[in-house]
Amino acid sequence: METKKTVLAVAAAGTVAGVAGLVLLASPAGAGEAPPALPEIGPEALVESVLSTTELPALSGAVSLENNLGLPVPGLSEMGQDGAVRVFTDGNGKHRLQLPSDGGETTVIDDGKTVWVWDSVDRTVQKTAHGAEGKGKAETPLESRFADPATAARELVDTMRADSTVAVDGTARVAGRPVYQLVLAPQPDERTLLREIRVSVDSETRVPLQIEVLANGQADPAVKVGFTEFTAGPQDASLFQFTPPAGAEVTEQTPDKEFRGESAEDLFAGLDIEPYGEGWDTVLTGTVPADLLTSQLPTGPRGEAGPGGNPLDLLGTIGKEVSGDFGTGYVIKAKVGTALITEDGKVALGFVPEEVVTEAVNQMK
Amino acid sequence: MTTAPVRAPLPRLLRSELRFMLRRPRTLIALLALAIMPVIAGVSIAIAADSMGGGRNAAIEGIASMVEGNGMMLPVLVLLLAVTMLLPLIGSMWAADAIAGEAATGGLRNLLLAPVSRVRLLAVKAFGVATLSLLAVVVMAVVSVLAGVVFLGGAEMVTVSGTTLPFTEALGRVALLVVAVTVQVWAVAAVALAISTCTDHPLVVLAAATGGIIIFTVLGEIPSLDWLHPLLLTESWEAVADVARDPLPMNGLTEGFLRAACYLVIGYSLALARIVTRDG
Repeated sequence: METKKTVLAVAAAGTVAGVAGLVLLASPAGAGEAPPALPEIGPEALVESVLSTTELPALSGAVSLENNLGLPVPGLSEMGQDGAVRVFTDGNGKHRLQLPSDGGETTVIDDGKTVWVWDSVDRTVQKTAHGAEGKGKAETPLESRFADPATAARELVDTMRADSTVAVDGTARVAGRPVYQLVLAPQPDERTLLREIRVSVDSETRVPLQIEVLANGQADPAVKVGFTEFTAGPQDASLFQFTPPAGAEVTEQTPDKEFRGESAEDLFAGLDIEPYGEGWDTVLTGTVPADLLTSQLPTGPRGEAGPGGNPLDLLGTIGKEVSGDFGTGYVIKAKVGTALITEDGKVALGFVPEEVVTEAVNQMK
Repeated sequence: MTTAPVRAPLPRLLRSELRFMLRRPRTLIALLALAIMPVIAGVSIAIAADSMGGGRNAAIEGIASMVEGNGMMLPVLVLLLAVTMLLPLIGSMWAADAIAGEAATGGLRNLLLAPVSRVRLLAVKAFGVATLSLLAVVVMAVVSVLAGVVFLGGAEMVTVSGTTLPFTEALGRVALLVVAVTVQVWAVAAVALAISTCTDHPLVVLAAATGGIIIFTVLGEIPSLDWLHPLLLTESWEAVADVARDPLPMNGLTEGFLRAACYLVIGYSLALARIVTRDG
C-alpha cells in the first residue's frame, strides 16, 4: 500500500506541475517583475540620445500593433491578430520586413539597390530599383536639422513643454529589454481626449521600442505599437538578398515620381488643409469636393456586394448625424479623437472632443 | 516493485505490445488511410491547381497557395490539415484501445489481478500509443514528401517568405514538423489515456476526445475569451505551419511544445492516479 501512496503523490505532483505550467504559459512574460534599475536621465538628455541615433543599428525583432481605438481600421487590426511583423536591418540601409497576410506572408527586402516585394498568396514579386530617389531622400532638410541632435532635442522638448509636461517616468521592460519611459502629457488646460503618450526608449541602443497612446478614461492604451522581440547585433547578410523563387511572377516597376510626389501634393492642395488651434487640441480642417461625397461608391474588389450607396450613406452608418451652425454633418468618434464631416464637404478632425471639432467647423468659411 | 518474483524484461514487454498493436487490422487500416491522404492531396493539386482554397482558415490557405509546383510544401499542408482533427483522433483511438478496450473485452481484469505492477502496465500501454502516434505522423510525412516530389515536382522548398531552401534543409524542416506535430498528438493521446483508465467503453474515450477538440476549437474562436486562449491545446496547432517560414520563427513552435508538454504531464498523471486506484 506504501507504493500506491507514493504513486498517487507523484501523480498529484505531476498534475499540479502541468496546470502550473499552463498558467505560467498563459501569463505574459515579465509580469510582476521589478522595473530594472537604470542610471537617472533627464528628458532633454533622453530625447537627445534618441535623436542622435539617426540610423537604426543592426537588429532583428518582431513588431506588433494593438489597436483599441473603438473604430475598425482596415488592415491594422489584422496585423495584431495574425501575428507580429518581423523586422531585420543591418544598420547600413538594408532592411527586411515580413508581414503576415491572409495566412501567407508579404516579404519586403531592401538590398540597398533594389526593393523586392514578395507576396506568398499570389506568388508574385515586385521589383523596384532605388535609382536617384533614394539618394535624394537622404539630403532632405529634415535630416540636416537633426544633424545637431542636442539643439534639436532642446528645441523639440521646449516646443512640447509649451503645451505638455515632458518627464521620464521610471523604467520598465519592453521585449525583455530595460527601457526608459518618456511620458508626454497635455497641460491641464488642453482640451484633448488624450491622457498621455508614452514612449519606451531602449536604455542601451536608444531606439524607441514602444509607443503607447492613452486616452482619457481608458486603462489600456488606445494604440500600442512596439517590439515584442528585439535583438541588437549583426545580422546574416543573406537575409538582405533576394532571388525570386522558381515559378514566381516578377514585375518590374520604375519609381514613378509623378505619382508619388505631385499627385499626392495635388490631393492635399485640393483638400486645403489648415490647422485650427494649437498644441494638443490642434484640429485639422479642410474641405472635400461635395460631389465626391455623393458619388457612387465602387463595389468590392472581388465583385462581392460592396457597401453600396454614396460616402454620405456610409458615414450615416458609422457616424452620428448632428446639426448646428454649419448645417448637417456626421460625427465619428473614436477613443482618441473625433472627426466631423458636413454634408457640404467640410472636414475637421483631431484628438479632441466633439465640441472642439464643431467649433473648428463653425469658424470655417 | 510489488511482489512479482521474476519480472519480464521491459524491452521484451514493449516489443510484444507493439507487435500486438500492429497486428490489429484497424491499426493497419488507419495507417493505410493516413498514407493515402497525401497521395490524393498531391494528385488533386497537380490536376486542379485551386482545388485546395476557399472556406478554410487563413493558415491553411496561406500554405495551400504555396503548394502548387512546390512539392516539399505538401507535407506541411497535409500535416497542418491532419493535426487539427485526424491525427489527434487516431491517437485517441489507440489510447481508447489501450485501457478501455482491454476492459471491454475483459483482458484488463486479468492484468490488474495478476501480480504485475500497474505503473509498469500503464507505461507499456503509453509507450505503445506514443510509438504508434509517431509512426502515424512519420508515415504521413514520408508519403507526403514522395507524393509532393513525384506529383508536384521541385526538390527545393520555396518558403512562405519567398526564399528557396535546398533539399536537405527542406527535409530538416519536414523533420522538425514531424516532431512538432507528434508532440501535439501525444498530448491529446495522453489526455485520452487518462479518460481511457476511467471507463470500460472505448467509444466514450473517442467521443470525449472528439468533443474536447471541438469545444477547444470553438472556445478559441471566441474573441471575448482571449484570456483563456493560451490555456487551450488547440491554439498552438496552427503554429506548426511556421516551419514553412524563413528565417524559422521558433516562438510559436516552442510555446506549442511547452503547452503540449503540460497536457502530457497532466494526462499521464491522471491516468496513473486512476489506474492504481482502479478495482480489478
